[in-house]
Amino acid sequence: MPATSSPDTLSFLEKLAGARSTVVRSHVGMDTASNTEARLKRAKERLYVMCQAGGWTFFLTLQMVFITLFRDKTLAKTAFPLELELSLIRVFAEGLLITHYARIYLARWGWKDLGWKPLVPRVILAAMAMSAVWTTVGYGIDFGVLRLEYGGKFPLWVLCLSSLVNGTLVMVGWLCIYFFYHLFERLNRLQMEQLRLAASVKEAELRALKWQLNPHFLFNSLNSLRALIDEDAPRAREAVTRLANMLRYSLQSGQQETVPFEEELKLAEDYLALEQIRHENRLRVRWEIAPEVRLLQIPPMLLQTLVENAVKYGISTRREGGEIVISARFEGATLNLRVTNPGDLSAPASASAARAGSSTGVGLRNASERLKLLFGPEARLTLLAQPAGFVTADVVIPLNPAAK
Amino acid sequence: MKALIIDDERLARNELRRLLAAHADIEIVGEATDVEDALAKVPVLKPGLIFLDVQMPGADGFSLLEQLEAPLPLVIFTTAYDEFAVKAFEFNALDYLLKPIDPNRLVAALEKVRPRDSGAPFEPGVATHRLALEDKVFVREGDRCWFVPVKNLRLLESEGNYTRLHFDDQKPQLFRSLTAMEERLDPKHFFRANRKQVINLGWVEGIEPWFSGGLLVKLKGGLKVELSRRQAQDFRERMSL
Repeated sequence: MPATSSPDTLSFLEKLAGARSTVVRSHVGMDTASNTEARLKRAKERLYVMCQAGGWTFFLTLQMVFITLFRDKTLAKTAFPLELELSLIRVFAEGLLITHYARIYLARWGWKDLGWKPLVPRVILAAMAMSAVWTTVGYGIDFGVLRLEYGGKFPLWVLCLSSLVNGTLVMVGWLCIYFFYHLFERLNRLQMEQLRLAASVKEAELRALKWQLNPHFLFNSLNSLRALIDEDAPRAREAVTRLANMLRYSLQSGQQETVPFEEELKLAEDYLALEQIRHENRLRVRWEIAPEVRLLQIPPMLLQTLVENAVKYGISTRREGGEIVISARFEGATLNLRVTNPGDLSAPASASAARAGSSTGVGLRNASERLKLLFGPEARLTLLAQPAGFVTADVVIPLNPAAK
Repeated sequence: MKALIIDDERLARNELRRLLAAHADIEIVGEATDVEDALAKVPVLKPGLIFLDVQMPGADGFSLLEQLEAPLPLVIFTTAYDEFAVKAFEFNALDYLLKPIDPNRLVAALEKVRPRDSGAPFEPGVATHRLALEDKVFVREGDRCWFVPVKNLRLLESEGNYTRLHFDDQKPQLFRSLTAMEERLDPKHFFRANRKQVINLGWVEGIEPWFSGGLLVKLKGGLKVELSRRQAQDFRERMSL
């Protein structure tokens, strides 16, 4: 029963032709990325609060223990029992506040992004400044605000100096912990960015691998082919071979980074010959290929994308059809590949053109991306409006050693 | 039944011709290569059925239906692969064939079409006579399209050069002026309520007195239309008949 088997064949071909939908996924990916970023920020804030509170409490507890163990019993009793402990707590609270506000300035001055060498003198200076503030505020409150009586055995300036030195050491410690954390974080971020870059390169490659025969082209070709069997059997046989070549290429495409220009040329020839069967005298093709470019390596599907685009906008949507010119030649140290079709860049696409060609813009953008990935920033793909109603897709590929 | 094949590809037209050769009752009266060509040929050849390719250079198959004067011939779409078009078909009982056309599918599509052919003289695409209640109007909005029987139109509203059609739960715009539409509608069934609106008398559910001798006409489905005193006079006369 050949008739019942045909839907199966069709669905197989439809699968082969496939549909493309990567845009949506990448969009979703972006959304979750911004979510993770917000979550990361919150986690970092929490870590900061915990470190500040934990660190200072630990330091304070240590001091308290030392004071109770090695208190100078000969010293006169203080005015009320826990005075020393209370003032210690106050001093540590001041330290916490100073470091907390210093953090805002450290971020504002961009010290987090500095390297080792510029950071060391800055850390020392900052620690000294913070310590000076700390000492001033501490003794300022003691003798300025509370008006305590000083009864120590050393002069006051010695006490201040020792406090300044002590404070500097503590602040250097704090800053070291702070910047060590940020250095590690920066290292991590750098690694993440490298991973992300690698992932985006891979994604672009994957998209390139996913080139498939345009289903509209495929089924229309099969339809004309069926009519051609009765009309012109030898030509129908030739068309079957060409279609087979294209299907094979489409199944194998994307396994290499670059392919010989000759192979791409062969594919474009098959494609245009099949389109000519459909469009007959509405599609005329002129080839201007310099023989020396045939062995050059180019990204797979580059020429095909341009030629499909030219047929879509230059022939399919125009009643009178027209001529497509494909030219390739060396210009100095670059390969210049041009595909010209009748058309107008600024003309609003008709409803059917929009329907037929919604994926073409994406195709050209992908091709341009791939060119830059493979051949560097000098490689480019541009669409140019020519006088007299023609549009040219212009590709420039530098012939550096990296491109072989 | 007289059929017209509309496709820009000669081989595709030949293929369909060959497939239709097996159906003796389908007489192919001609071929058209695009919308413009078809617009010229339909009123002359008067096909009862058209095979219409969706993608053609210039304008697509849907726009032919938009521009063609009702009554429309029966339509079987042909398309190679067009997700949008296929989605549009699913809103209607319209049939479509995927290219390359499966001969069995063609048989099924023709079966669907045949009973609707009454054999009465049929002049598609010619704006000479009034539309019968069973005739269909084609309207498209965005990716959706409808073949609406005239009897389902509850209300037609003027919007400049366009007319908004109210039917079922839809109200798409038709690219025709209300005056042009009114000329094609049977005054036995349709009434010009005011400068902007034409109502289908078959859908009138209730009538209420309104300001200064006017009337408020309620249509089934919840639409309300105001009539001025003068139109109310006409309306009363019409309804009392």
